[in-house]
Formats: sequence, structure tokens, C-alpha cells
Amino acid sequence: MYFVPDGRLQKTPVMDIQNTQSQMRKGVLEFCILSIIRQGEVYPSDIVEKMRSANLHTLEGTLYPLLTRLKNAGLLTYRWVESNSGPPRKYFVMTEAGLEFYGELERTWNELADAVKALTAPSQETKTTE
Amino acid sequence: MIPIEESAYDVLKQYIDSLRRYFANEEGRDEIINDIEGRIAELFGEVLKKGSTCITDEDVNAIIASMGRPEDFDDDEAKVQSQLGGEKKQQQSSYASAGSEYAYTGAPHTRFYRDERNKVVAGVCSGIANYFGIDPLVVRILFVIFAFGFGFGFITYLVLWVAVPSSASTVIGSPKKRLFRDPENKLIAGVCSGLARYFGINVWIPRVLFLIPFISITFRWMHWGDVDFPNFLRFAFSPGSLLLYIILWLVFPEAQSTSDKLEMKGEKVDLNTIKTTIQQDMEGFKERAEHFGKEVGAKAKEFGEQFGNRSKQFGTEAGYVVRRTGSGVGDVLGLIVKIFVYFILGTILFFVVAGLFIAGVALTGLMPNKDFLIGSGWENLFAWGTLILFIWVPVAGIITWIVRRIAKMRSNARTIRFTFVALWLVGLFCFVGLISSLFADFKYRNHAVEQSVAITTPNVKKLEIKGIFPAVDDDNYWFHLQPFASIDGDTAYVRNTAIRLTFSNNDSFQVYIRKFANGPTREKANEEASKISFQFRQKDSSLYINNFVGFTMKDKFRNQLIEITIAIPKNGRIKVDESAAGWGNDEHFDFGRNWDYYSYNEYNDERKYFDFSRGIEYKMSADGTKLERTDGVKDDNENNNDNTQSDNNNVQSDTSVYHYKSNGEKPEKKERPEKAEKPERPSKTKKDTIPAKQAKVEIKTINAIPATFAQRFTI
Repeated sequence: MYFVPDGRLQKTPVMDIQNTQSQMRKGVLEFCILSIIRQGEVYPSDIVEKMRSANLHTLEGTLYPLLTRLKNAGLLTYRWVESNSGPPRKYFVMTEAGLEFYGELERTWNELADAVKALTAPSQETKTTE
Repeated sequence: MIPIEESAYDVLKQYIDSLRRYFANEEGRDEIINDIEGRIAELFGEVLKKGSTCITDEDVNAIIASMGRPEDFDDDEAKVQSQLGGEKKQQQSSYASAGSEYAYTGAPHTRFYRDERNKVVAGVCSGIANYFGIDPLVVRILFVIFAFGFGFGFITYLVLWVAVPSSASTVIGSPKKRLFRDPENKLIAGVCSGLARYFGINVWIPRVLFLIPFISITFRWMHWGDVDFPNFLRFAFSPGSLLLYIILWLVFPEAQSTSDKLEMKGEKVDLNTIKTTIQQDMEGFKERAEHFGKEVGAKAKEFGEQFGNRSKQFGTEAGYVVRRTGSGVGDVLGLIVKIFVYFILGTILFFVVAGLFIAGVALTGLMPNKDFLIGSGWENLFAWGTLILFIWVPVAGIITWIVRRIAKMRSNARTIRFTFVALWLVGLFCFVGLISSLFADFKYRNHAVEQSVAITTPNVKKLEIKGIFPAVDDDNYWFHLQPFASIDGDTAYVRNTAIRLTFSNNDSFQVYIRKFANGPTREKANEEASKISFQFRQKDSSLYINNFVGFTMKDKFRNQLIEITIAIPKNGRIKVDESAAGWGNDEHFDFGRNWDYYSYNEYNDERKYFDFSRGIEYKMSADGTKLERTDGVKDDNENNNDNTQSDNNNVQSDTSVYHYKSNGEKPEKKERPEKAEKPERPSKTKKDTIPAKQAKVEIKTINAIPATFAQRFTI
């Protein structure tokens, strides 16, 4: 059974375009998040907003586990910042290891982008981020 | 501690549990859950800050939708739409099958909201109906009755419309419309623009409603036939609308940040729309920079700077999207000062325009009579130029500027301004030319010779002086120049006469007159003076004299003055009527004297002149040094002149003809040595003694005593 996005359980495999699309996006999600954090100290809500503004929507529920994973892998650290409008917040920054990791991903991304560009017609560009 | 409804708490707990299950195998599960809980707490805090007393089911469900459910975490991108709203909608529809209810189930009925989904105008009645649990139709009918029956319903509706939040505000993140003042579209303070944007009406409707009281303040008291204005119109038309405007100005903040502007328009405030708005602003800035012809390099640099600033602003606003800052006390004070300044400037401008307008009207009204003063040729041209270009052009210019500013017509601003200024400068030139040419006309004062007038001394040794003024019908004119002047056909009359009282060294009354006029040269002045006609008539102890000088458009006004000197014998009594000379209390004008002549003359005048008041009888003392009132009141009008009495040494020249017939006896002529200071004319002396015979004089008309100054002077 495949769990298809609209909530129905289906018994037969369906080639759902949305599935493929989401896979594409999933692939670059980590890279994008790392890019955002690389630019400066942010807390998770910020990241969600920035991604939404860049037209790459993501749920906070997706983000938190990912951030935790990255932090556990040593690519990110955080510090607590008191806020007067609620509980204290975690502000994430990139570590040295994270920067290296990011560099690798950037190279991979550029290669990928070039490849795709070369393989597709000029008018068609993959639009995952702006 | 966050207050939360029980059912809401259940939903929340379910959600957290599902998260726990989802992350069961996840490394750092607890941390993740804590993070998520922290975020939820933050969102709860915001909900409470907005005014809710506790968290409801709807709040929780909305938050869950925003955070995402576990089953969607890996596939959330599949739900991507470009707009936040679209994403939510789809999630909501897919969650419907999960069996829980949330979000758009309807406006909460524990609080009073406007029901935007069930509205005729603004959902006020629906909101009321929801709150009370009755049919909206009933509420609407009641409202209509109140509005037109008692009048306050309309205003109440508007107030509720603005004050009561819309049901849309219950959904987190949905577009909410707030009343702001619109700074980009403002005439004075953007109050009307803000109102217009909030209600979605044309900006001119509130403007007109606010302005009408200034145009027709009397509406409250006016009835058009039998139609009485309904109450709500009456409110709008009262001058209280200015007060209301000021209140709105103070209370509502200006839409400054981009999120404010979006809220003002009722667009959704999320980062997309913020970004679009900023982009639009930047576009506008770019255009304006181009329009002013900046260099490409400078433009790019500025654009870059702006971009840097804007992105910073963008970043800050991203953080503050859900936060509102109120205006502090300092802002309010600044506002009050601004209102004051605007008010004062507006008043000054108003008075300047009004003053110019009145001057223009006054002078235009006098234009038919301008030929009494203005010569032909250049002077005439200058006069027209002054009136039209110097006075009317600024009035027209200012009115045009106001109209254009209101209508936001920016076209050709420079040409129009240039034209008006140029015309006004020409007008200024005309004005200067007019003044200088008029000055030239009045440059010289003639040298008046004193001529005596033959009167008899009545036996009672008393003389009463009364004035004659021609009867005119001046209803045709806009102005009543009376009492000091009036116009009869082609002749104008000015009461420019003056009376002096002095002592007569013989035993009879004596009257002397001097005629004055101005002209561009001394000869011309003498000529003008000679044209003055003076008439008098004596009847027993009353002496009627002309209290006017006349001039025509041909023999123009040239500051003509008749000075009458009356010499009183000792113990003689005299009373000068109010009508006798000048207007009011001996007002006459006499400008443009040449100081050489005047000071010389006055200096050598050894006669003593007495102050006196009109309408009161005086008696000359036996020694001729005091003039006292006969009614016993002690006057402190003592004598003004220090001269001892003697014959005067006035320069004489024979320039006029007498209009009286004597009984044949010629006045004596005495030769007088000519003064070295007065070389122009050969002079003949004329110092007369009063013949004992009566003089009969023909007088044209006798006028009734005109009323007092205040009564007759109208515009």
C-alpha cells in the first residue's frame, strides 16, 4: 500500500506526480536549510518564514527533527535566547564542520544544476529555489 | 501558565502524542518534542496577546495545521502551493477525513465578532445575531428602524464596523483589515484616505463629508421646503466633523511599515505580500529617480543602497510580522504640534487669499470711478495692470494651486507656476509705475493765497457755521463713500474742507479762505487750486458754506482742500456745526505739502488758532486770548498755536475768482512787498475789510445734514 498525499490509502501503486515533486524538494531541503543558517543566526520559525518567502514551503514539524539531526551530527549549534513574548528560543548557527559540509553540498548542487540545465531545453528550468 | 479550554487541551494532547509516536525512533525525540512544544507555547502567547482570554479548540487546530501533522512531515512539500492560504485549505480538506473539526467552523459564539461570511454591508448585524443567537434578519430590521427613526443608528453602525473585529481575525494568519491613516494618499493627514481604504469606498466620499460643514454650516437650520434632513446627515454636516477629524488623526496611526500598509488594504500580511509591496515601492522609487534625470551610475548606487536598506527592513519585518507596536506618547505630542502648525498655516493662507480677494473686489468696484484720480495714458494702463495682474493673478494662482493639489493634478506644474509668477511680476511693475506716476501728479502743492470772504457781522455778534453738501443718489454704487465723499454723475465731491478759528482785531467777524491743490509742477498746482469753487451764503447769524470740493474726470482729484479761517471779534460767540467742515470730527486730509512752503508759512503765521469742538458754542474773551465754552464746561482744548496775533504774512497770489456778488463796492487792494522766498509770481495783495453791506449769494442746493459716519459707511 502506498500512502498517497491526499490521505487515502491506496492498494495499487500510483505514479503520482506530486510524489516525484516532493522527492525533488526533499532532496534540496537540507541544503536550503543549511544555506539559511549559514547566513546568520536564526531560530526555527525564522527558517520556516524564509523558506516560505522563497516559495519553498515547509512544515515546522518537518523542520524540528531535521534541525535536531543536524545538531546531533555536529553541523549546527544553538544558544538559548530569552524572549519576552514566550518561552526562550533556540538560535542556530553553523559550525566549522557544518560549513565544510555545506561547501560539499554546494558543489554537488552546482554540478546537478549544470547537468540539468545541459540536459533540458533552455526554456525549461527546474524551479526549486530562487 | 496558559489558560486553555478543556476540549482544546485534549486536542493538543492528542497531537503531541501523535508526534511522540512519530518520532519514537528518532534520535533526539525528546528534544524535538520540546522544541515543538515551545513553538506552540509561543503561538499560544500570541493568541492571548491578541485579546483572547484562553485558548480554544479553533486556536489549537489552527496551530496544528500550521505546524503540520506527523503523517505529512515527509510529504509536506506535496502540498505546496505558492500561497499560504492555499496550503492551509488543502490541508484542511484532507484532514476532514481524519474526523476532527477545526478552524473554519464558524465565528465563535462566545465573543462578539462581525460575521464577514454572512454580511450584507459589514456583518455587524450578523455578528450581533450570532452573539445573541437570534436571526440576523431581525437584527437588521431593528437596526434600520433605529437608524432612521432615532438617527444614531447609522453612526453606531459605522463605529461597530470599525471597532468590532471581523470573524476573519479568528483564523491565525488570515488577512485582517485595520484602520490606518494612509500616508501615501493624503491631503492633510490621510484620515479620509484611511477611512476610504478601510470601508472600500472612494476616497472622496469621506472628504466631502468632512468638508461640507465648511461650505454649508447652516444646513442644520435649513429646511428645503418641507424636507428636513435626517439625523445622521445632520451630524455629518455639523462643524463637529472637524473635531472628529482631529480625533481620528490622533487616534489612528499612520500606515508606515509595509505590514501596516498591507493590513490597511486588508491584504494578507505574510512575507510574500510584504515582498511584493516593497518591490512595488522600489519600482516607484526607480521611476522617480529616472524621472529626475540621475546618472545611471548614481541610480544604480542608490538602488543598491535602497536594496540594502529594504532587505534589512524586510528581515526585521519578517520577525515582526505578528507583532504590533502602538504609538507612544511622543508620537501623539508630535501629532498635536503638526495639527497646530497645519491649522495656523491654513488660516494664514486663508486670510491672505481672502484679503487679496476683498482688495480685488473693492478695487474693481471702484474702477468706474478711477478716472477721477487716474490720468489717461500710461497711468491708466498701469492702473489696469495693477488691478488685474498684481491683485487678481495671485488670487487666481492660489486658488488654482489648491484645486490642483486636491485633484492631484501634477501636470505642467512648472509652466503654470512660471506663468503665474511672471504675470504677477508684470503686475508688480505696473503697480510701481502707477504709484510713481501718481506721486508725480501730486508732487507739488500750490502756494495758496488767503482770500477774504465778505460777510456781515450780525448784531447779536454770533455766528453759526453750517455746511452744505450736494445731494446725491449713490445707490448705484457698490460702495458708499459717504460721508467723506459722494459721486453725482460725472462730478465727485469730497468734504475736504477745514476750519480754523482765530481772533479778529476789529469788531466784526471775518472770514478768509485758502485753496490748496497738488500738481506735477508748481504752476499746475496753482492751476488746479484755481479751479476749486467755493460758495457761501449768509442768513442772519448763520453762515452756510460749501463743505466740499468738486472735481470731475477731467479736472481730477488732486488733493484739493479749502481752508476756512474765521476771525471772531472780542466777546463774539461762535458755533461750528458738525456739518461745517470735513467729515466726522473735522477730519480732512491734506497730504503732500511741500515743507518749504508750509513750514515757512506756518512759522511766520502770527495768528493764534484755537481748538474747538463741533456743535458747541464758544465765546471769545475780551482780550482775544481765550475761547471759552458758553455752556460752562471747562474745556482743556486750549490753544495750539503760540503765535501772537498780528497780521499774517501769507504769500499772496491771485488765483481764484469769487462767486459772490457784492453790491458794487470793490474790495480794497493793498500793495504788499514781495517776499524774496516766493519768486514765482508777481503777487497782488488782497486784504479786505468786510463791507458792511449784506452779500447775496445764490446757492444751488441745500442738503440735509447727513447722518453720522458710522451709519452711512457700508460696503
